[in-house]
Order: sequence, then C-alpha cells, then structure tokens
Amino acid sequence: MLATQEPKTSAARRMDLRLYIKQQPVMLALLAVFGVLFFLGVAGLSRAYHAQRDALGNRWFNRGVEDLRTRRYDRAVTEFRSALLFSRDNYDYQLNLAEALIGLGQTNESYSYLVNLWEREPENGLVNLELARIAAQRGQTEQAQRYYHNAIYAVWPGDQEAKRRETRLELIEYLLSINAKAQAQAELIALEENLGEDPALQRDVGDLFLRAQDYEHALAAYRVSLKLDRHNAAALAGAGWAAFQLGRYSPAERYLQAAVTENRNDAQSAERLKTTQLVLRMDPFRLQISAVERARIVVEAFASAGRRLSSCATPKSSAEATALQPSLADDWAKMKPRISEQELRRNPDLVEQAMGLVFEIERQTSATCGTATGEDLALLLISKLHEGN
Amino acid sequence: MNSQAGVAADVAMTIDRPVAARTINGRSKALLKSVFREDRFFLILSVFIGIYSGLAVVCFRFAIGWCRLYLLGTGAVLSPTRLLLAPTLAGLVIAVLVIHVFPLARGSGVNQTKAALYIYNGFIPFRTAIGKFITAALAIGSGHSLGPEDPSLQIGACIASVMGRQMRLSRDRMRLIAPVGAAAGLAAAFNAPISAVLFVIEEVIGRWTAGILGSVVLSAVSSVVVMRWFLGSESLFRIPAVQMERPSELIAYAILGIVGGVASVAFSMGIATLRPKFKALPLWTQYFQPGLAGLLIGIIAWLGAPQVMGAGYEAMDEAMHGRFTWQFLAVLAGLKIVATLLSFVSGTPGGMFAPTLFIGAMLGAAVGGAEHAVLPHLSGSPGTYALVGMGVLFAGFLRAPMTSVFMVLEVSGNYSIILPVIVANTIAYVISRGLQPIPIFDALTRQDGLELPSMEEQREEGILRVEDAMRPVEGPVLDAQQTVEQALQTSEASSAEGFLVRLSPSGWNVVTKQQLRKMKEERKGEASLGSQLPILQIPVLHPDHPLEMALRYVERWPLLPVVSRADFRQLEGVITERDVLERYREFGES
Repeated sequence: MLATQEPKTSAARRMDLRLYIKQQPVMLALLAVFGVLFFLGVAGLSRAYHAQRDALGNRWFNRGVEDLRTRRYDRAVTEFRSALLFSRDNYDYQLNLAEALIGLGQTNESYSYLVNLWEREPENGLVNLELARIAAQRGQTEQAQRYYHNAIYAVWPGDQEAKRRETRLELIEYLLSINAKAQAQAELIALEENLGEDPALQRDVGDLFLRAQDYEHALAAYRVSLKLDRHNAAALAGAGWAAFQLGRYSPAERYLQAAVTENRNDAQSAERLKTTQLVLRMDPFRLQISAVERARIVVEAFASAGRRLSSCATPKSSAEATALQPSLADDWAKMKPRISEQELRRNPDLVEQAMGLVFEIERQTSATCGTATGEDLALLLISKLHEGN
Repeated sequence: MNSQAGVAADVAMTIDRPVAARTINGRSKALLKSVFREDRFFLILSVFIGIYSGLAVVCFRFAIGWCRLYLLGTGAVLSPTRLLLAPTLAGLVIAVLVIHVFPLARGSGVNQTKAALYIYNGFIPFRTAIGKFITAALAIGSGHSLGPEDPSLQIGACIASVMGRQMRLSRDRMRLIAPVGAAAGLAAAFNAPISAVLFVIEEVIGRWTAGILGSVVLSAVSSVVVMRWFLGSESLFRIPAVQMERPSELIAYAILGIVGGVASVAFSMGIATLRPKFKALPLWTQYFQPGLAGLLIGIIAWLGAPQVMGAGYEAMDEAMHGRFTWQFLAVLAGLKIVATLLSFVSGTPGGMFAPTLFIGAMLGAAVGGAEHAVLPHLSGSPGTYALVGMGVLFAGFLRAPMTSVFMVLEVSGNYSIILPVIVANTIAYVISRGLQPIPIFDALTRQDGLELPSMEEQREEGILRVEDAMRPVEGPVLDAQQTVEQALQTSEASSAEGFLVRLSPSGWNVVTKQQLRKMKEERKGEASLGSQLPILQIPVLHPDHPLEMALRYVERWPLLPVVSRADFRQLEGVITERDVLERYREFGES
C-alpha cells in the first residue's frame, strides 16, 4: 500500500511544484497590473478628496481672515479652527489662528502654535515678531530681544525694509519701556543708518533718541528732519529740547523760538524757551559782555539766591533743609554787604566767589526744597554748565 | 528555506530537450529557481502586500473623512441635531450590518489577526476586510469614540491573507502572512513604520527571526511610502524640542506615569467587565446597543465635550497647543474613557489605539498643567506632557512597552522627548501589570472563548537554566593520561557509578565503573584511559545554558560536565537526566 502511494505523491508533488514555478511570475505580474490600476484609482479619489478639503479649508480660512481684519477675534478663531480640520498642518492657517488667539488674549495657546511654526520656519518675520511680543508680555526679556532680532533679520513679505524698520522701532520702544537705554541707543544708531530721507521718520527717531537720553544723536536726527522740512514744529521743539539738554542754549533758543512761532499752542516749548532765555540772560560768565553788565547779573543772581534761601527756610520746609540753612545763610549774609556793582567791577574774584555761593545755594535748595523754577532753575542750569570750570 | 521550489526547478531541468534549448531553459529556470524560492518570493510578496494595504488604508482614511464631513458637518462647531442624530443613526445601521452581513467585523481587529496566525492558519475572509472598512468608517466618521488604526491593521492582514491564498503559499508562510499585512496596515494608519513593526513583533508574532522581520519591515515600509504619497509625510503631531533644565524634572513625568498606569487599569477593567455583560444581553438588544452608545456619546458632545467624538486627533492637537485648562483636560480624559467604553462594548467596529492616545494626551496635558500650577518653573510644554501621556497609556493599556516608546518618537518626529517617555512608560507599564495581570487583548480573547498565546506571559515566563538543575561534582574526576588500572582503582574507592574524564589538552569524556571493569577484563589495564574510550569527547554545558539544551544530551550520557565559559577545564558541576527531570517536575508543581 505504502509502496503504491509513494510514486503518486511524488508525481503530484512534482506537478504542484511545476505549477508553482509557472504560477508565481504570472501572479506577480497580475499583482503588479492590479496594483497599478488600484494606485490610479486611489490617485483619482485622492485628487477629489484633497480638492474638496482644500476648498472647504480655504473657505473657512478666508472667512477667518476677514474676521481677523475686522477684529472679530472670537469668530476668527472658530473659523481658523474649522479650516485646520481640513489641513491640520497648514502653516498659514496656524499662523492666522495664532494671531486671532493673540487678539483674543489667549497667549498661551497662541504661543504653542507660534513655537511650532518657528521650528518649521525660524526665519519667518511675523512668527518671530509675535513670539517677541508674547515673551515681552511675559517679562522674558532675553527671549523677547532674541525674537525681535530674529524678526529684524527675518524674511518678510512685501516691503521688507519697512517691516524690518517697524520691528526695530518696536524693539526700541520695548527696550525703553524696560529702561534698557544703552541697548535702545545701540538699536537707534543701527536704525539711523538705514533711515533714508523721511522727515517724519527722522523726527520719530529723534524723539526716541531723546527718550534714550542720547541728545547728540537726537539733535542730529532733528536737524536732518528739519533740513527736509524746516517748518516742522515737532522737530523744532525736539531739536530745541535736545540742544537745551546738551547745554547749547543759543541754538536751543533759536529752535524753541521757531517751534513756538510754528505752533502757538506748544506751551511746553514756550516754557523751555523762557528758561533758555533766562539762562542766556543770567549767565555772568558768557563772553562778550561788559564788566558792568556782568556785575549787574551777579547782583541779580545773588539776590535771587537769597530769596530762594529764605523761601526754603519757611516752616513748611523739611528738617534737612532747615539743618543746612544756617551755614549757607551765614555765608550769604556775610557776603551780602560786599555785593554791589561797584565792588564786583573792581574785584573780579568776588564775581567768582559770589557765583560760587549762588550755585551752591541753588544746588542744595533744589535737592532739599523741590525742583527749582524760573530764575532759580536758570541759575542751576548755569551752574551745571560751568561745573567743570 | 522551502525545498519545494528547488526540487521543482531540478525536476524541470531534467526534461529531455535538444541540448542548446536545454541550456537556455536551464539558465532561465535556474534564475527562476533562485528568484522564486519561497522565502525570497515571500519577501517580494511582502512589498505587494505593503502597497495594497497602504492603498486600502488611504481609501479607508478618505472614507472616514467623507463620513465625518457628510454626517457631522464641515465646521469646528457642530450643530446639536447632527451631534445627537449622526452617531445614533449610524449606530443602528452598523448594528444591522454587523449582525446580518459582516459578523466578523466586530471588535478592534488585533485579536482577529492573532487568531488568524495561531488558529486559522492565516485565513481571514475577504468579506471581513470589506465589512471592517464600511462599518468602522461609518462608526468613526459619525463620531463613535473609536480609532482607525486597529481596523487598518485588520484590513492589511486580510489583504495579505487573500494574496497568500491566491499564491498557494505553504502553511508555514500562510500563518505568517497575516502579521505581515497587519504591520503594513498599522504602519500606514500611524505613518509610523518602526512602531508598526515592533507592535506586530511584540504583540502578534512574539518572536524575532530574520525571515519574518524582513517581510514585516518591507511591507510596513512600502505601505508607509504609499500612504505618504497620498497623505503627506508630516508627523502626526508637532511639539517643540524638549529641553529639561534639570534632571529632577523627570519626577514630574514619573508622576504622570503613575497617574497613567492607574488610568490604564481603570480603562481596561471597565472594558473587561462591561463587555461580557453587554454581550450577555438578549440578541434583540444588540440591534440597539451601538445606536444607544452613539446617542449617549452625542449627549456628551452636546453637553460641551464634542472633542470625545471620533478618533479625536484634532482635539489632541489642540490640547498640545494648550487650548484647554488642566481641569477640562482631566474631564475630557474621563469622558473619553466613558465614550470609548460605550462604543467598544456595544460591539461597534473600531480601534482602541486612537482613544488610548486621546486619553493619554488629555491626561498628560492635565497632569502637566496641574504640575505647572504648583511648580511654575517646570520647563515642559503642554505638548510635551500630552505626548508623554500618549506613550504612558499605550504602555499601560495596550501593554506594548517597546512600541509605546517608539510610537511617541515617530508620531512626533522628536527624539528629545525620549527620556521622559521611557521613565513614564516604564512606571505605567509596571503599575498596570501589577494591578491588572491579564492584558486587555488577552482578556478579550478569553472572553471570546479563544486561547491565544499571551505575548506578555511568554515574555515574562521564567526560563530554567542548567545552573538551576546541576549539582556539585561528587566522585573523583579521572584523567585521560591515567591507565585503565589506575582509573579503576580510583573509581572503586567511590560510590558513584559514572565518572568524568578530563581530556588533554582540553575536552571532557565520561566513563562508568562497569566500562572500566570490562576494559580490565579485556586486558587493557595498562593502556591509557583516553585511548580506550569509545568516542572522542562528549558535549559540555555552561551554567547559563537553557535547561532544554541539557535535555537534548542527558539521555545519551550518564552525566554531563558543566564548565566555565572562561576556562573549559574548570568544572562548575555535573548534570544528569534525573537532575533535569527532577527540576522540571519541581517547576511544574510550583
């Protein structure tokens, strides 16, 4: 039984194996053909599927953009979320959603989107700018500055230079707000180099230099602005104030005078002009004045200092003020009999001594009895002007 | 290697023909023989399986997308009518389809694939794939809390099974073909070839061999290539690089591991407890169970948590971007557990992977948020915690620790997260194993009356080694240089029957007292013992060898030497057949 079965099994096996060899290439060829057909079918479906999803996504996105433009942030957020349902990884959808979320005050969620977008495109200007703003809001100074700098050197759509300038201006504002004046000055100097001839922009930069207490650069910026628009009242006022701060009272008077002429309602410039004029009038050390005139100014300044000392000695004054008064008052009282126009003309050293006492009185009283005004302020400024001499 | 094709080629070559023609035919047949050897052919077939599975999964994703679009609408804010009606009506339709047309489409698909491998010799009816495709797309698209990954896995396995049958593969290959397709389906669904390969090896096949690995990898890679062609190659989730400022931050992730481990147990216990109860309800109720589950999910969505509907990838993405407060995230995790329990135990076809990831993501982001509220200096973002949470639930609930780690890396494309993932996943896995000894897939299989091998049990099974059964050397050790006479004298002084013989320069042999006596009777007393031994040397064992290895030899030798790996002449002990059997008996009793 076994002997008869063996050849049959073997023959059947050989037949099977032959079939196997013959079948495999054919089957693979068939599989390949069906595979291609299946692939083409799926490609067709895929086109239809993606076209539909793209259309729906864009529809929601466009609505969102419109609502974002009109600051209807809550609606915009919902619409961008709907758009993302159809293309979860879409860069523009996510970026606009992040902006809408910022508008809505949801900075945490917005930050998450922006950080991911930043990882995908670290050179995107808008993403860096928004991240900088969020970091600034959170008080993360270093991160904020890093993102601002990224944004300044980033790729921007449209007018790239203008965007970069705006971003740097925003960074300067931020630095000034955190009192980082030295960094703000450095940014302003970098900004100034690429400003071009726009009087308004030069004036703005001048204002920022003023806030950063870089009066020299401020004056230069105002001058450029005035060269382009000599009747710009704000630039004139700014230039006047910058010159005033630099102790250049003659040009300051000129600029402030022009500013007041251009804008009669500019009370601040008028006040500064008044002080400037007082400084110029009450400075006994200025050149090209006669000895008579100098003696008259000293007598006037001495009297003014005496009045300041008396007003500072009223019961309302602080304890500190009353404590320092006796010595100054004594000095003033001792010197007073000698202060006359004749004596001052005769003795130039007395001019020095008298003005020295006047400056000392003004300095100490301004430190203890509040800000000086009018003639006292002028004398204080004159003292600062001649501090080194 | 299968010898069938080789023999066939040999047979073909012996056919009587003119010499020239025979030479050409011989060459081409030799080529065919080499190409179409079954093991190589299986590799080629794996590529086709990958391509077909990838295409099928792409279609499946389109189907889900369209169902979602037409059933739930196009916006992020859904209308209450659709929220309530879509999952309910879809549930009713699915119930009819599953009961009358596609009865094998129930469940997630992982166990069915395992059953195909271990019980049905790789057979999965094609109808199952069609049924799974239609019912799962309808369920997920209408908002049932289920995912597309496990059905994709089953669809891939089914396509592979059909191809294998058409190719008339051998039974061995047929058994393995379903996991090859499963890897392709899962890889395409997740866009994660490594995780798919690992999952199939870790949870379905349970062993690593070059042949299987090659096929599984090829199919997974080809399916992912196809999927990326149509759906893009972006990672499923994006998070920024994780930079831990101090190592102590790992404690925060360890806490997430603990919470995730407990949640995994609650989730799997819920399914394991409720599923048999729902199945035990009268047959007519099964027509309404998916619909009722859909209605309840719709109500949850209508009450303010529409995120629990469907696979939930959009909500996971939003959680990673910090959209929700940690309190709401915790609520979402809880509601998703409820919604998934309802969908799954009602018999609605669909997968557990996506809901597991959802629960993990929400739980992770919630734990991260709570920790940030207490310790604001922690550096992890919500996205980081959500991703780690996904891995945690995957490790704790699906009990696939290796896959869980690679899955997180692959779906995020971010390697910087590896340390937190390993720490948290390990803790969750250990807690889950401790509190729920039977993994969920094994529990479901047993509920269905099948006894499939548990990969976790296999992994954890203790291995007996030679050192567990060996004993110290009792009698003297003889030397091959000794004469037979000397050896006999030494042996007579001992009560032992068998003696080891140390050969020179190395090697071991064995001789019994009886053999020595016989040699003496044959007047070989003055001959050296080594020259009289019947064979050259006997096998040696090392203490770390599996005991199975000893079993192969102990029957043929009265005792075997166990020697050091560092020095073959250094004897660590001896082992006999009795020692081996005794150890197995003790092991069986324990």
